[in-house]
Amino acid sequence: MSNLNNNKKYLLYKYTPIFLLFTSIMNEIDFNLQFKYFSFNFAYILIFYYSLKREGSIGYILIFVAGLFNDVMNGLPMGVSSLSYLLLCTVASYLRNITLRPDIIKDWISFVITILILNFFTYTYLIIFFNYEINYFDQTSNIVGTCLFYFIFSYIFRFYDNFTLGKSN
Amino acid sequence: MERSRDDFVIAIRSAFLKKGNQQKFSLLSLILFSMLFLIMGNFNFKIINFNKIVIKEIIYYSSFVANIPENFVKKSFIKVTDHFDHYDDYLSTKSELQNLKNKDLEKKIIKFENKELKKLIDDYFIEDRQAYAKVLIDKESPFLRSIVINKGSRNGVQNGMAVYDDIYLVGQIVEVNFLTARVLLISDINSKIPITIQPINVQGIMSGLDQKSGQLQYVNKEKLINENNEKLIVVTSGIGGIFKSGIPIGEINSLNSSLSKKIVVNFHRNFSQLKYVKILSHIKENINIDQSNKKIFNESNSQVIQMNNQAEDIKILKQQKIISNEIQFKLRSENSKLKNKLTITEKRLNESEKKINTDIVKTKNLEFLELNLLHGHKCRKSFFKPELHKVNTDEYKACVLKKGFIKKN
Repeated sequence: MSNLNNNKKYLLYKYTPIFLLFTSIMNEIDFNLQFKYFSFNFAYILIFYYSLKREGSIGYILIFVAGLFNDVMNGLPMGVSSLSYLLLCTVASYLRNITLRPDIIKDWISFVITILILNFFTYTYLIIFFNYEINYFDQTSNIVGTCLFYFIFSYIFRFYDNFTLGKSN
Repeated sequence: MERSRDDFVIAIRSAFLKKGNQQKFSLLSLILFSMLFLIMGNFNFKIINFNKIVIKEIIYYSSFVANIPENFVKKSFIKVTDHFDHYDDYLSTKSELQNLKNKDLEKKIIKFENKELKKLIDDYFIEDRQAYAKVLIDKESPFLRSIVINKGSRNGVQNGMAVYDDIYLVGQIVEVNFLTARVLLISDINSKIPITIQPINVQGIMSGLDQKSGQLQYVNKEKLINENNEKLIVVTSGIGGIFKSGIPIGEINSLNSSLSKKIVVNFHRNFSQLKYVKILSHIKENINIDQSNKKIFNESNSQVIQMNNQAEDIKILKQQKIISNEIQFKLRSENSKLKNKLTITEKRLNESEKKINTDIVKTKNLEFLELNLLHGHKCRKSFFKPELHKVNTDEYKACVLKKGFIKKN
Protein backbone atom coordinates (compact mmCIF):
# COMPACT_ATOMS: atom_id res chain seq x y z
CA MET A 1 0.00 0.00 0.00
CA SER A 2 2.76 2.38 1.03
CA ASN A 3 4.65 1.39 -2.10
CA LEU A 4 1.62 2.32 -4.19
CA ASN A 5 1.38 5.65 -2.44
CA ASN A 6 5.05 6.25 -3.03
CA ASN A 7 4.58 5.44 -6.70
CA LYS A 8 1.73 7.92 -6.94
CA LYS A 9 3.79 10.56 -5.22
CA TYR A 10 6.71 9.85 -7.51
CA LEU A 11 4.47 10.22 -10.56
CA LEU A 12 3.22 13.53 -9.19
CA TYR A 13 6.79 14.58 -8.53
CA LYS A 14 7.87 13.59 -12.01
CA TYR A 15 5.05 14.92 -14.16
CA THR A 16 3.89 18.04 -12.31
CA PRO A 17 6.47 20.38 -13.91
CA ILE A 18 5.53 19.18 -17.40
CA PHE A 19 1.83 19.47 -16.64
CA LEU A 20 2.31 22.95 -15.18
CA LEU A 21 4.39 24.09 -18.14
CA PHE A 22 1.89 22.98 -20.76
CA THR A 23 -1.10 24.13 -18.74
CA SER A 24 0.39 27.58 -18.25
CA ILE A 25 1.14 27.84 -21.95
CA MET A 26 -2.04 26.41 -23.36
CA ASN A 27 -4.55 27.87 -20.99
CA GLU A 28 -6.45 30.99 -21.81
CA ILE A 29 -5.55 32.28 -18.39
CA ASP A 30 -2.41 34.28 -18.74
CA PHE A 31 -0.61 35.56 -15.72
CA ASN A 32 -1.50 39.18 -16.30
CA LEU A 33 -4.19 38.81 -13.65
CA GLN A 34 -6.12 41.67 -15.23
CA PHE A 35 -3.88 44.34 -13.77
CA LYS A 36 -2.73 46.98 -16.16
CA TYR A 37 0.93 47.12 -15.23
CA PHE A 38 1.46 43.71 -13.77
CA SER A 39 2.35 40.44 -15.46
CA PHE A 40 4.98 37.74 -15.21
CA ASN A 41 6.28 34.89 -17.31
CA PHE A 42 5.53 31.72 -15.44
CA ALA A 43 7.17 29.47 -18.04
CA TYR A 44 10.55 31.18 -17.56
CA ILE A 45 10.41 30.64 -13.80
CA LEU A 46 9.33 27.02 -14.12
CA ILE A 47 11.88 26.06 -16.76
CA PHE A 48 14.77 27.82 -15.02
CA TYR A 49 13.93 26.39 -11.61
CA TYR A 50 13.50 22.80 -12.74
CA SER A 51 16.47 22.87 -15.11
CA LEU A 52 18.59 24.15 -12.26
CA LYS A 53 17.31 21.99 -9.45
CA ARG A 54 16.23 18.81 -11.20
CA GLU A 55 18.10 17.87 -14.29
CA GLY A 56 15.91 16.22 -16.84
CA SER A 57 12.66 16.81 -15.00
CA ILE A 58 11.34 18.51 -18.12
CA GLY A 59 12.89 17.06 -21.23
CA TYR A 60 14.54 19.43 -23.70
CA ILE A 61 12.27 18.23 -26.45
CA LEU A 62 9.24 18.96 -24.33
CA ILE A 63 10.61 22.43 -23.63
CA PHE A 64 11.16 22.92 -27.34
CA VAL A 65 7.58 21.80 -28.07
CA ALA A 66 6.27 24.01 -25.27
CA GLY A 67 8.06 26.93 -26.91
CA LEU A 68 6.37 26.14 -30.21
CA PHE A 69 3.02 25.94 -28.43
CA ASN A 70 3.65 29.28 -26.77
CA ASP A 71 4.53 30.89 -30.09
CA VAL A 72 1.37 29.59 -31.72
CA MET A 73 -0.77 30.68 -28.79
CA ASN A 74 0.75 34.16 -28.64
CA GLY A 75 1.04 34.63 -32.39
CA LEU A 76 4.82 34.94 -32.37
CA PRO A 77 7.07 33.59 -35.16
CA MET A 78 7.53 29.90 -34.52
CA GLY A 79 10.77 29.09 -32.76
CA VAL A 80 11.20 32.32 -30.82
CA SER A 81 10.02 31.00 -27.46
CA SER A 82 11.68 27.62 -28.05
CA LEU A 83 14.99 29.36 -28.51
CA SER A 84 14.49 31.46 -25.38
CA TYR A 85 13.47 28.47 -23.29
CA LEU A 86 16.37 26.36 -24.50
CA LEU A 87 18.87 29.17 -23.87
CA LEU A 88 17.39 29.50 -20.38
CA CYS A 89 17.92 25.78 -19.94
CA THR A 90 21.52 26.14 -21.10
CA VAL A 91 22.25 28.83 -18.54
CA ALA A 92 20.55 26.81 -15.81
CA SER A 93 22.53 23.73 -16.82
CA TYR A 94 25.79 25.70 -16.81
CA LEU A 95 24.99 27.10 -13.38
CA ARG A 96 24.22 23.64 -12.06
CA ASN A 97 27.59 22.43 -13.33
CA ILE A 98 29.58 25.20 -11.68
CA THR A 99 27.60 25.55 -8.44
CA LEU A 100 28.95 23.78 -5.38
CA ARG A 101 26.77 25.35 -2.72
CA PRO A 102 23.30 26.30 -4.03
CA ASP A 103 21.99 29.63 -2.82
CA ILE A 104 18.66 31.14 -3.78
CA ILE A 105 20.05 34.68 -4.01
CA LYS A 106 22.76 33.60 -6.46
CA ASP A 107 20.18 31.63 -8.45
CA TRP A 108 17.95 34.66 -8.53
CA ILE A 109 20.73 36.99 -9.69
CA SER A 110 21.63 34.53 -12.47
CA PHE A 111 17.97 34.26 -13.41
CA VAL A 112 17.57 38.04 -13.61
CA ILE A 113 20.68 38.48 -15.76
CA THR A 114 19.65 35.58 -17.98
CA ILE A 115 16.13 36.78 -18.65
CA LEU A 116 17.39 40.31 -19.29
CA ILE A 117 19.83 39.04 -21.90
CA LEU A 118 17.30 36.62 -23.36
CA ASN A 119 14.66 39.30 -23.68
CA PHE A 120 17.18 41.63 -25.21
CA PHE A 121 17.97 39.07 -27.90
CA THR A 122 14.33 38.15 -28.39
CA TYR A 123 13.23 41.76 -28.84
CA THR A 124 16.17 42.45 -31.10
CA TYR A 125 15.39 39.74 -33.62
CA LEU A 126 11.68 40.31 -33.34
CA ILE A 127 12.17 43.96 -34.26
CA ILE A 128 14.92 43.52 -36.84
CA PHE A 129 13.83 40.36 -38.65
CA PHE A 130 10.11 40.20 -38.06
CA ASN A 131 9.17 43.90 -37.86
CA TYR A 132 7.36 43.55 -34.58
CA GLU A 133 6.39 46.56 -32.48
CA ILE A 134 7.00 46.09 -28.80
CA ASN A 135 5.46 47.93 -25.90
CA TYR A 136 8.55 48.34 -23.77
CA PHE A 137 6.67 49.46 -20.70
CA ASP A 138 4.60 46.28 -20.63
CA GLN A 139 7.65 44.14 -21.31
CA THR A 140 9.62 45.84 -18.54
CA SER A 141 6.81 45.32 -16.09
CA ASN A 142 6.67 41.66 -17.21
CA ILE A 143 10.40 41.21 -16.60
CA VAL A 144 10.19 42.89 -13.19
CA GLY A 145 7.19 40.74 -12.27
CA THR A 146 8.99 37.57 -13.39
CA CYS A 147 12.08 38.47 -11.35
CA LEU A 148 10.03 39.17 -8.24
CA PHE A 149 7.91 36.05 -8.54
CA TYR A 150 10.92 33.79 -8.92
CA PHE A 151 11.40 33.86 -5.15
CA ILE A 152 7.83 32.95 -4.36
CA PHE A 153 7.61 30.16 -6.91
CA SER A 154 10.99 28.70 -6.03
CA TYR A 155 9.76 28.34 -2.43
CA ILE A 156 6.48 26.85 -3.62
CA PHE A 157 8.23 24.36 -5.92
CA ARG A 158 10.67 23.37 -3.21
CA PHE A 159 7.83 22.87 -0.79
CA TYR A 160 5.96 20.78 -3.36
CA ASP A 161 9.01 18.62 -4.09
CA ASN A 162 9.54 18.03 -0.39
CA PHE A 163 5.88 17.21 0.01
CA THR A 164 5.78 14.69 -2.84
CA LEU A 165 9.10 12.99 -2.36
CA GLY A 166 9.96 13.78 1.25
CA LYS A 167 12.83 15.86 2.55
CA SER A 168 15.27 13.02 2.82
CA ASN A 169 14.97 12.28 -0.89
CA MET B 1 43.98 31.20 -14.79
CA GLU B 2 44.20 28.53 -17.41
CA ARG B 3 42.56 26.06 -15.14
CA SER B 4 39.53 28.29 -14.53
CA ARG B 5 39.15 28.74 -18.27
CA ASP B 6 39.23 24.97 -18.67
CA ASP B 7 36.52 24.64 -16.02
CA PHE B 8 34.41 27.16 -17.85
CA VAL B 9 34.84 25.35 -21.14
CA ILE B 10 34.03 22.02 -19.53
CA ALA B 11 30.88 23.44 -17.87
CA ILE B 12 29.73 25.05 -21.08
CA ARG B 13 30.40 21.93 -23.08
CA SER B 14 28.61 19.85 -20.53
CA ALA B 15 25.64 22.23 -20.55
CA PHE B 16 25.35 22.27 -24.31
CA LEU B 17 26.25 18.75 -25.27
CA LYS B 18 25.45 16.54 -22.30
CA LYS B 19 22.30 14.53 -22.76
CA GLY B 20 20.41 13.55 -19.68
CA ASN B 21 19.25 10.09 -18.80
CA GLN B 22 16.16 10.29 -20.93
CA GLN B 23 17.21 13.07 -23.32
CA LYS B 24 17.43 12.12 -26.95
CA PHE B 25 18.77 15.43 -28.19
CA SER B 26 21.37 17.72 -26.74
CA LEU B 27 20.54 21.33 -25.98
CA LEU B 28 22.81 22.60 -28.71
CA SER B 29 21.09 20.53 -31.38
CA LEU B 30 17.67 21.72 -30.24
CA ILE B 31 18.84 25.36 -30.15
CA LEU B 32 20.18 25.00 -33.65
CA PHE B 33 16.97 23.34 -34.74
CA SER B 34 14.83 26.14 -33.31
CA MET B 35 17.04 28.75 -34.97
CA LEU B 36 16.68 26.91 -38.23
CA PHE B 37 12.94 26.81 -37.69
CA LEU B 38 12.92 30.54 -37.11
CA ILE B 39 15.03 31.37 -40.13
CA MET B 40 13.17 29.03 -42.48
CA GLY B 41 9.87 30.40 -41.23
CA ASN B 42 11.01 33.90 -42.12
CA PHE B 43 11.68 32.88 -45.72
CA ASN B 44 8.22 31.39 -46.25
CA PHE B 45 9.19 27.95 -47.46
CA LYS B 46 6.22 25.87 -48.52
CA ILE B 47 7.18 22.84 -46.44
CA ILE B 48 7.77 24.96 -43.36
CA ASN B 49 4.50 26.79 -43.87
CA PHE B 50 2.66 23.49 -44.26
CA ASN B 51 4.29 22.19 -41.09
CA LYS B 52 3.41 25.42 -39.33
CA ILE B 53 -0.24 25.06 -40.32
CA VAL B 54 -0.34 21.46 -39.12
CA ILE B 55 1.31 22.37 -35.81
CA LYS B 56 -1.04 25.30 -35.35
CA GLU B 57 -4.07 23.14 -36.00
CA ILE B 58 -2.86 20.54 -33.51
CA ILE B 59 -2.10 23.20 -30.92
CA TYR B 60 -5.39 25.03 -31.37
CA TYR B 61 -7.36 21.82 -30.94
CA SER B 62 -5.29 20.61 -28.01
CA SER B 63 -5.58 24.07 -26.48
CA PHE B 64 -9.34 23.83 -26.86
CA VAL B 65 -9.30 20.46 -25.09
CA ALA B 66 -6.97 21.76 -22.39
CA ASN B 67 -9.24 24.71 -21.86
CA ILE B 68 -12.35 22.62 -21.26
CA PRO B 69 -11.96 22.33 -17.47
CA GLU B 70 -10.91 25.95 -17.18
CA ASN B 71 -13.80 27.09 -19.32
CA PHE B 72 -16.13 24.97 -17.27
CA VAL B 73 -14.91 26.65 -14.07
CA LYS B 74 -15.07 30.05 -15.74
CA LYS B 75 -18.59 29.47 -17.02
CA SER B 76 -19.73 28.18 -13.65
CA PHE B 77 -18.25 31.22 -11.97
CA ILE B 78 -19.93 33.52 -14.48
CA LYS B 79 -23.22 31.68 -13.93
CA VAL B 80 -22.97 32.08 -10.19
CA THR B 81 -22.06 35.78 -10.43
CA ASP B 82 -24.89 36.19 -12.95
CA HIS B 83 -27.29 34.65 -10.47
CA PHE B 84 -26.11 37.00 -7.77
CA ASP B 85 -26.39 39.93 -10.15
CA HIS B 86 -29.89 38.82 -11.07
CA TYR B 87 -30.78 38.63 -7.42
CA ASP B 88 -29.43 42.15 -6.82
CA ASP B 89 -31.32 43.32 -9.89
CA TYR B 90 -34.44 41.65 -8.59
CA LEU B 91 -34.09 43.40 -5.24
CA SER B 92 -33.51 46.80 -6.82
CA THR B 93 -36.40 46.24 -9.24
CA LYS B 94 -38.60 45.21 -6.37
CA SER B 95 -37.81 48.35 -4.42
CA GLU B 96 -38.25 50.41 -7.58
CA LEU B 97 -41.60 48.77 -8.22
CA GLN B 98 -42.66 49.51 -4.68
CA ASN B 99 -41.64 53.15 -5.15
CA LEU B 100 -43.53 53.33 -8.41
CA LYS B 101 -46.56 51.76 -6.81
CA ASN B 102 -46.39 54.34 -4.06
CA LYS B 103 -46.05 57.09 -6.62
CA ASP B 104 -48.94 55.68 -8.60
CA LEU B 105 -51.06 55.62 -5.49
CA GLU B 106 -50.07 59.20 -4.72
CA LYS B 107 -50.94 60.16 -8.27
CA LYS B 108 -54.31 58.47 -7.99
CA ILE B 109 -55.00 60.26 -4.73
CA ILE B 110 -53.98 63.59 -6.24
CA LYS B 111 -56.14 62.92 -9.29
CA PHE B 112 -59.03 62.07 -7.10
CA GLU B 113 -58.49 65.17 -4.97
CA ASN B 114 -58.19 67.27 -8.09
CA LYS B 115 -61.43 65.82 -9.40
CA GLU B 116 -63.16 66.49 -6.09
CA LEU B 117 -61.85 70.03 -5.94
CA LYS B 118 -62.91 70.66 -9.52
CA LYS B 119 -66.35 69.39 -8.67
CA LEU B 120 -66.42 71.72 -5.71
CA ILE B 121 -65.71 74.74 -7.89
CA ASP B 122 -68.08 73.41 -10.54
CA ASP B 123 -65.30 72.98 -13.12
CA TYR B 124 -65.36 69.25 -13.65
CA PHE B 125 -66.13 68.14 -17.14
CA ILE B 126 -66.79 64.68 -18.44
CA GLU B 127 -66.59 63.56 -22.02
CA ASP B 128 -69.94 63.92 -23.70
CA ARG B 129 -69.39 62.86 -27.25
CA GLN B 130 -66.32 61.52 -28.95
CA ALA B 131 -65.49 60.81 -32.55
CA TYR B 132 -62.41 60.13 -34.58
CA ALA B 133 -62.06 61.76 -37.93
CA LYS B 134 -59.73 61.73 -40.88
CA VAL B 135 -58.35 64.97 -42.24
CA LEU B 136 -59.65 65.43 -45.74
CA ILE B 137 -58.28 68.80 -46.70
CA ASP B 138 -55.39 70.60 -45.12
CA LYS B 139 -55.08 73.69 -47.22
CA GLU B 140 -52.63 76.32 -46.18
CA SER B 141 -54.65 79.39 -46.98
CA PRO B 142 -53.05 82.75 -46.19
CA PHE B 143 -56.29 83.88 -44.62
CA LEU B 144 -57.50 80.92 -42.66
CA ARG B 145 -55.61 78.01 -41.17
CA SER B 146 -58.14 75.27 -41.01
CA ILE B 147 -58.68 71.64 -41.89
CA VAL B 148 -61.68 69.77 -43.19
CA ILE B 149 -62.53 66.47 -41.54
CA ASN B 150 -64.71 63.59 -42.69
CA LYS B 151 -67.25 63.76 -39.87
CA GLY B 152 -70.26 66.01 -39.82
CA SER B 153 -73.62 66.50 -38.18
CA ARG B 154 -74.54 62.95 -39.13
CA ASN B 155 -71.89 61.79 -36.67
CA GLY B 156 -73.01 64.20 -33.98
CA VAL B 157 -70.38 66.83 -34.63
CA GLN B 158 -71.45 70.25 -33.46
CA ASN B 159 -70.03 73.70 -33.63
CA GLY B 160 -67.61 74.57 -30.86
CA MET B 161 -66.42 71.03 -30.20
CA ALA B 162 -62.76 70.70 -29.32
CA VAL B 163 -60.45 68.87 -31.70
CA TYR B 164 -57.45 66.96 -30.42
CA ASP B 165 -54.38 65.27 -31.76
CA ASP B 166 -53.74 62.62 -29.10
CA ILE B 167 -54.15 64.67 -25.91
CA TYR B 168 -53.08 68.01 -27.40
CA LEU B 169 -55.48 70.67 -28.50
CA VAL B 170 -55.60 71.22 -32.24
CA GLY B 171 -58.53 73.48 -32.78
CA GLN B 172 -62.25 73.98 -32.70
CA ILE B 173 -65.12 73.04 -35.00
CA VAL B 174 -66.30 76.21 -36.73
CA GLU B 175 -68.42 74.85 -39.53
CA VAL B 176 -70.51 71.69 -39.63
CA ASN B 177 -71.92 70.05 -42.72
CA PHE B 178 -73.81 66.80 -43.01
CA LEU B 179 -70.76 64.66 -43.76
CA THR B 180 -67.87 67.04 -43.15
CA ALA B 181 -66.80 69.76 -40.79
CA ARG B 182 -64.19 72.50 -40.71
CA VAL B 183 -61.78 72.87 -37.87
CA LEU B 184 -60.20 76.21 -37.08
CA LEU B 185 -56.69 75.41 -35.97
CA ILE B 186 -55.24 77.12 -32.92
CA SER B 187 -52.37 78.20 -35.17
CA ASP B 188 -54.76 80.54 -36.95
CA ILE B 189 -54.51 84.21 -36.10
CA ASN B 190 -58.27 84.34 -35.55
CA SER B 191 -58.27 81.63 -32.95
CA LYS B 192 -58.26 83.20 -29.53
CA ILE B 193 -57.80 80.58 -26.86
CA PRO B 194 -57.96 81.51 -23.18
CA ILE B 195 -54.88 79.96 -21.65
CA THR B 196 -53.08 79.58 -18.36
CA ILE B 197 -49.33 79.52 -18.08
CA GLN B 198 -48.29 76.86 -15.60
CA PRO B 199 -46.83 76.62 -13.00
CA ILE B 200 -46.89 80.39 -12.44
CA ASN B 201 -50.62 80.53 -13.08
CA VAL B 202 -50.69 83.53 -15.38
CA GLN B 203 -53.77 84.00 -17.52
CA GLY B 204 -53.80 85.18 -21.11
CA ILE B 205 -55.09 84.73 -24.62
CA MET B 206 -53.27 82.87 -27.34
CA SER B 207 -53.67 83.39 -31.02
CA GLY B 208 -51.92 81.57 -33.86
CA LEU B 209 -48.66 82.71 -35.40
CA ASP B 210 -47.55 79.93 -37.75
CA GLN B 211 -47.84 76.14 -38.10
CA LYS B 212 -45.64 75.45 -35.13
CA SER B 213 -46.24 78.36 -32.78
CA GLY B 214 -48.71 80.74 -31.29
CA GLN B 215 -48.51 84.16 -29.74
CA LEU B 216 -49.57 85.23 -26.28
CA GLN B 217 -51.68 88.31 -25.75
CA TYR B 218 -52.90 90.19 -22.71
CA VAL B 219 -50.30 88.58 -20.48
CA ASN B 220 -48.66 90.25 -17.51
CA LYS B 221 -45.12 90.16 -18.92
CA GLU B 222 -43.45 91.43 -15.76
CA LYS B 223 -44.83 88.51 -13.85
CA LEU B 224 -43.47 86.15 -16.49
CA ILE B 225 -40.02 87.67 -16.33
CA ASN B 226 -39.92 87.51 -12.59
CA GLU B 227 -40.97 83.94 -12.26
CA ASN B 228 -39.43 82.17 -15.22
CA ASN B 229 -37.32 79.72 -13.26
CA GLU B 230 -38.94 76.64 -14.72
CA LYS B 231 -40.14 75.59 -18.16
CA LEU B 232 -43.48 77.23 -18.71
CA ILE B 233 -46.34 75.09 -19.99
CA VAL B 234 -49.34 76.55 -21.73
CA VAL B 235 -52.71 74.89 -21.10
CA THR B 236 -56.29 75.96 -21.67
CA SER B 237 -57.70 77.92 -18.79
CA GLY B 238 -61.31 76.97 -19.34
CA ILE B 239 -62.42 80.59 -19.06
CA GLY B 240 -65.38 81.31 -21.29
CA GLY B 241 -66.51 77.70 -21.25
CA ILE B 242 -65.33 76.91 -24.78
CA PHE B 243 -62.78 74.36 -23.74
CA LYS B 244 -62.36 72.54 -20.50
CA SER B 245 -59.38 73.63 -18.43
CA GLY B 246 -56.01 71.90 -18.51
CA ILE B 247 -55.75 70.79 -22.14
CA PRO B 248 -52.05 70.99 -23.10
CA ILE B 249 -51.22 73.32 -25.97
CA GLY B 250 -47.50 74.01 -25.96
CA GLU B 251 -44.63 75.47 -24.02
CA ILE B 252 -42.70 78.70 -23.78
CA ASN B 253 -39.04 77.96 -24.30
CA SER B 254 -37.28 81.21 -23.56
CA LEU B 255 -38.41 84.54 -22.28
CA ASN B 256 -35.31 86.53 -23.08
CA SER B 257 -36.19 90.09 -23.95
CA SER B 258 -39.83 89.08 -23.98
CA LEU B 259 -40.73 92.50 -22.63
CA SER B 260 -40.09 94.09 -25.95
CA LYS B 261 -40.94 91.15 -28.22
CA LYS B 262 -43.87 88.78 -28.56
CA ILE B 263 -44.16 85.79 -26.30
CA VAL B 264 -44.15 82.73 -28.52
CA VAL B 265 -45.75 79.42 -27.61
CA ASN B 266 -44.28 76.38 -29.33
CA PHE B 267 -47.02 73.87 -30.00
CA HIS B 268 -46.52 70.29 -28.99
CA ARG B 269 -47.70 69.12 -32.39
CA ASN B 270 -46.96 70.28 -35.89
CA PHE B 271 -50.32 71.04 -37.50
CA SER B 272 -49.08 70.50 -41.03
CA GLN B 273 -48.68 66.80 -40.25
CA LEU B 274 -52.21 66.08 -39.06
CA LYS B 275 -53.82 62.94 -40.44
CA TYR B 276 -56.35 61.82 -37.87
CA VAL B 277 -57.98 63.89 -35.14
CA LYS B 278 -60.26 63.31 -32.20
CA ILE B 279 -63.38 65.39 -31.74
CA LEU B 280 -64.62 65.77 -28.22
CA SER B 281 -67.30 67.67 -26.42
CA HIS B 282 -67.36 68.06 -22.69
CA ILE B 283 -70.22 68.65 -20.36
CA LYS B 284 -70.31 69.34 -16.70
CA GLU B 285 -71.05 66.29 -14.65
CA ASN B 286 -74.77 66.15 -14.15
CA ILE B 287 -75.30 65.19 -10.57
CA ASN B 288 -78.82 63.86 -10.23
CA ILE B 289 -79.27 63.63 -6.59
CA ASP B 290 -82.14 61.38 -5.75
CA GLN B 291 -83.16 60.52 -2.23
CA SER B 292 -80.76 57.60 -1.73
CA ASN B 293 -77.94 59.61 -3.21
CA LYS B 294 -78.84 62.49 -0.97
CA LYS B 295 -78.65 60.19 2.00
CA ILE B 296 -75.27 58.89 0.95
CA PHE B 297 -74.16 62.43 0.26
CA ASN B 298 -75.29 63.58 3.68
CA GLU B 299 -73.71 60.59 5.35
CA SER B 300 -70.44 61.09 3.57
CA ASN B 301 -70.64 64.80 4.36
CA SER B 302 -71.15 64.09 8.02
CA GLN B 303 -68.33 61.56 7.89
CA VAL B 304 -66.11 64.16 6.34
CA ILE B 305 -67.06 66.63 9.04
CA GLN B 306 -66.44 64.02 11.70
CA MET B 307 -63.10 63.17 10.20
CA ASN B 308 -62.20 66.83 10.04
CA ASN B 309 -63.15 67.21 13.68
CA GLN B 310 -61.13 64.16 14.57
CA ALA B 311 -58.21 65.51 12.63
CA GLU B 312 -58.46 68.77 14.55
CA ASP B 313 -58.70 66.86 17.83
CA ILE B 314 -55.64 64.88 16.87
CA LYS B 315 -53.88 68.12 16.06
CA ILE B 316 -54.78 69.57 19.46
CA LEU B 317 -53.77 66.36 21.21
CA LYS B 318 -50.50 66.35 19.37
CA GLN B 319 -49.87 69.94 20.44
CA GLN B 320 -50.82 69.05 24.01
CA LYS B 321 -48.47 66.12 23.87
CA ILE B 322 -45.69 68.36 22.66
CA ILE B 323 -46.39 70.85 25.45
CA SER B 324 -46.57 68.11 28.11
CA ASN B 325 -43.35 66.67 26.79
CA GLU B 326 -41.71 70.06 27.11
CA ILE B 327 -43.06 70.44 30.66
CA GLN B 328 -41.87 66.96 31.53
CA PHE B 329 -38.47 67.75 30.16
CA LYS B 330 -38.29 70.97 32.15
CA LEU B 331 -39.43 69.20 35.31
CA ARG B 332 -36.85 66.50 34.82
CA SER B 333 -34.08 69.04 34.37
CA GLU B 334 -35.24 70.96 37.45
CA ASN B 335 -35.46 67.76 39.40
CA SER B 336 -31.92 66.80 38.48
CA LYS B 337 -30.72 70.28 39.42
CA LEU B 338 -32.45 70.07 42.80
CA LYS B 339 -31.01 66.62 43.38
CA ASN B 340 -27.55 67.99 42.73
CA LYS B 341 -28.20 70.86 45.12
CA LEU B 342 -29.47 68.43 47.78
CA THR B 343 -26.36 66.29 47.58
CA ILE B 344 -24.17 69.39 47.83
CA THR B 345 -26.09 70.65 50.90
CA GLU B 346 -25.93 67.21 52.49
CA LYS B 347 -22.21 67.18 52.00
CA ARG B 348 -21.91 70.64 53.50
CA LEU B 349 -24.12 69.65 56.44
CA ASN B 350 -21.97 66.63 57.14
CA GLU B 351 -18.85 68.74 56.98
CA SER B 352 -20.32 71.36 59.34
CA GLU B 353 -21.48 68.61 61.72
CA LYS B 354 -17.99 67.20 61.78
CA LYS B 355 -16.62 70.68 62.41
CA ILE B 356 -19.06 71.27 65.23
CA ASN B 357 -18.15 67.97 66.82
CA THR B 358 -14.46 68.75 66.64
CA ASP B 359 -15.16 72.24 68.04
CA ILE B 360 -17.10 70.73 70.94
CA VAL B 361 -14.24 68.35 71.65
CA LYS B 362 -11.79 71.21 71.42
CA THR B 363 -13.81 73.45 73.78
CA LYS B 364 -14.17 70.57 76.22
CA ASN B 365 -10.44 70.03 76.12
CA LEU B 366 -9.81 73.74 76.58
CA GLU B 367 -12.20 73.83 79.50
CA PHE B 368 -10.48 70.83 81.01
CA LEU B 369 -7.06 72.40 80.51
CA GLU B 370 -8.25 75.64 82.08
CA LEU B 371 -9.69 73.81 85.05
CA ASN B 372 -6.58 71.66 85.18
CA LEU B 373 -4.47 74.78 85.53
CA LEU B 374 -6.65 76.16 88.28
CA HIS B 375 -7.68 73.06 90.16
CA GLY B 376 -5.30 70.35 89.04
CA HIS B 377 -3.28 70.55 92.17
CA LYS B 378 -6.37 69.73 94.23
CA CYS B 379 -6.79 66.40 92.51
CA ARG B 380 -3.22 65.39 91.71
CA LYS B 381 -1.76 62.54 93.72
CA SER B 382 1.41 63.38 95.62
CA PHE B 383 3.51 62.16 98.41
CA PHE B 384 1.53 64.18 100.88
CA LYS B 385 -1.82 63.44 99.32
CA PRO B 386 -1.81 59.77 98.48
CA GLU B 387 -5.61 59.54 98.50
CA LEU B 388 -5.88 61.71 95.33
CA HIS B 389 -5.73 60.51 91.68
CA LYS B 390 -3.03 59.91 89.17
CA VAL B 391 -2.79 62.37 86.27
CA ASN B 392 -4.62 61.44 83.01
CA THR B 393 -6.86 58.95 84.69
CA ASP B 394 -10.61 59.26 84.42
CA GLU B 395 -10.96 59.94 88.15
CA TYR B 396 -8.44 62.73 87.85
CA LYS B 397 -10.32 64.25 84.92
CA ALA B 398 -13.63 63.98 86.81
CA CYS B 399 -12.02 65.60 89.82
CA VAL B 400 -10.64 68.47 87.73
CA LEU B 401 -13.97 69.00 86.05
CA LYS B 402 -15.62 69.19 89.46
CA LYS B 403 -13.04 71.85 90.37
CA GLY B 404 -11.30 69.69 92.92
CA PHE B 405 -14.36 68.81 94.95
CA ILE B 406 -14.01 65.25 95.92
CA LYS B 407 -16.87 63.29 96.99
CA LYS B 408 -16.01 61.92 100.31
CA ASN B 409 -17.29 58.54 101.09
